[in-house]
Amino acid sequence: MKISRRDFLNWAGAVGGSTAVYRAAMGMGLLPIAARAARPLLTASGKSKKVLILGAGISGLTSAYELSKHGYEVQVLEASFRAGGRNMTVRHGSRIDETGYPQVCNFDDDPDLYFNCGPARIPGHHVNLLGYCKELDVELEPFINDNRNAWVQDDAMFGGKPIRAREYLSDTRGFVAELMAKSINKDALTGPMTADDWDRLREYLRYFGELDPQFKYIGTSRSGLATHDYTAPEVLKAPLSPSELLKSKFMLIMSFGETDDQAAMMMEPVGGMDRVVAGFMRKVGHLVQLESQVQRIKVLPRGVEVTYRRDGEYVTTRADYVLNCIPMHLLAGIEHNFPAEYAAGFTAIPRGKLFKIGFQMKERFWEREGIYGGISWTLQDIQQIWYPAHGIHRKKGVVLGAYTFSPEAGEKFARLPPAERFKLAIAQGAKIHPDYASHVESGVSIAWHQMNHMLGCAAQWEEPLFKQWFKTLQSPAGSHYLIGDQVSYHPGWQEGAIASAHHAMADIDARERAGGTQVVHS
Amino acid sequence: MKRLLAPFAVLLLLAFLVSSARAGNDFDYCLLCHGSNANGNYGIRAPKLSGIEPWYLARQLENFAAGVRGAPADDAAGHEMAPVALRLKQQGSLDAAVKFIGSLDPGRPHATVQGDATTGKKLYAACAACHGARGEGNAALQSPALVARSDWYLVTQLTNYKTGLRGADERDTYGAQMRAIAATLVDDQAIANVVAYINTLQGLAPRN
Repeated sequence: MKISRRDFLNWAGAVGGSTAVYRAAMGMGLLPIAARAARPLLTASGKSKKVLILGAGISGLTSAYELSKHGYEVQVLEASFRAGGRNMTVRHGSRIDETGYPQVCNFDDDPDLYFNCGPARIPGHHVNLLGYCKELDVELEPFINDNRNAWVQDDAMFGGKPIRAREYLSDTRGFVAELMAKSINKDALTGPMTADDWDRLREYLRYFGELDPQFKYIGTSRSGLATHDYTAPEVLKAPLSPSELLKSKFMLIMSFGETDDQAAMMMEPVGGMDRVVAGFMRKVGHLVQLESQVQRIKVLPRGVEVTYRRDGEYVTTRADYVLNCIPMHLLAGIEHNFPAEYAAGFTAIPRGKLFKIGFQMKERFWEREGIYGGISWTLQDIQQIWYPAHGIHRKKGVVLGAYTFSPEAGEKFARLPPAERFKLAIAQGAKIHPDYASHVESGVSIAWHQMNHMLGCAAQWEEPLFKQWFKTLQSPAGSHYLIGDQVSYHPGWQEGAIASAHHAMADIDARERAGGTQVVHS
Repeated sequence: MKRLLAPFAVLLLLAFLVSSARAGNDFDYCLLCHGSNANGNYGIRAPKLSGIEPWYLARQLENFAAGVRGAPADDAAGHEMAPVALRLKQQGSLDAAVKFIGSLDPGRPHATVQGDATTGKKLYAACAACHGARGEGNAALQSPALVARSDWYLVTQLTNYKTGLRGADERDTYGAQMRAIAATLVDDQAIANVVAYINTLQGLAPRN
């Protein structure tokens, strides 16, 4: 089999999408390295120009911060009693404004006992968010995604008994490496693969799976030693049965912690993700008006008119520009005069239904199991249990007791009253930690598609929706711009929200430099 | 487990107290889901409420609160409404909510359902006895008007009646009648056709 460079790129594409092709090509010297995304240089003065920002989520706050620095008159209208949007951290006394099931967080009053309901981690290449963290004095600390000591549990394998993540990952790799080393045939390799290449490939497989000199997998310290008695010789664990390991669909998520946005090193703000919101609010809080729910948006020949409700009264205001991060699925219910082809996009992108539970545990029992931070995975509804990497060795800690990705699992939890949600999550968590229930002191649950003023998690973009709608929704309708992670190729991430705000502001800046009347790419 | 859940019950009670302490524009929450002037939001499948007869709205809120509606596991939208209605009832603000909806400015909804209105007209004969020839409704029969509703919502509800997501609760006598009628609509196309015909009706008064 002849393997050309083009073949390699095609495989990379099949596995990792076009991004992988691009990255691989960069590695092979085919493409120049793109410049890092920079904050737009706003050069036009915003003096005497008013910008109304709808929604005090991360994109709205970014816009308020940048535009007010450049002389624009800025007002932010936020429907909720709080700023931040899905950037939301709950701690002692926090109010959780869920439709039908309002809750109050009953955690102890302690700086380490908080729960990030929305975004919870930041990778090192989210340069814009990290830039704001630096500028706004938001202190960061490491966040752990990938912990080989954490558990993997699936009713489909080993009778539901949890195994350590390191066992699953190392034993499946050892098995695959042995199988491949034994089955690749030197004579079948032609073209650019030489006999030396074949030897090198076998060596690669040896180290990939940690095979013995005969290319047999007999176990590895990667899967953990049988004991850690350092006064006695090391004893390897016997490899787990490959046929049992392959029964689990865990293979679908086993590489989660290796992906572009999840691989080490990850970070989190000290004290909760909402420290980012607090940082912005220190700068622009005086421009943000809470509990002001938008009811009508009217695009004018020049500018935009917005009507909102506050204290039961309708208030109408006008601005030269509107930057709008109201979730599109809610915007669809607000009166407007947008072009039909623009507004049709609001209902075309499904809303996310992610769901989370946080439990205050009276003892950090996971640390007794050698787990410090990271994620245990299960194929049950709760899907994952996160252990805090902060507050290590303190008495109590807040674990994430459920974080569902599928709409079905999200709905299953969301339709239960909170106490029932906790019961279900505790029963499932007990398959990983048998004494789980005895440690739970209090809980919070976040059903994002039932959270007021959001009613959805990240917009569920995928092809062909991107192709059909993205450009339309990203372009302004007159002087009205949609922003938020919902209008980015990175939905569900604050970096996407910031990118959308930067994009819109760069467009406004271009219009202002051109005299303030020209409608750019619309 | 009981010992564990006790703190949660306290927490819930606390939540009720905190939220009911917040006076003022609580009913704005209705508009969050159901849109400006409660004219409906297809984006989250929240139907138009404005223009609906107050007695019908009140009955449906009572039904949601009592678990007559929104209880079956597969009724995701009903599950979102049920706890809201229950809270309104527990706070004694159910009537005020109905009054608030009545204070809004109802708009004429856009037709979204594609169907054959000519075929639908024949099917509508079964509806007309209770809901009126012009879809104007009949308070004496406790039958609401069908015109100027979210048409996609009519489709959802007819489907729910057919599948038993609505009207199967033994306390729901009106729902039982609707289940019998909906059963005569043989498939999705028949439902679309009858709703397409309802979209051509004008009710009693001209609407804006």
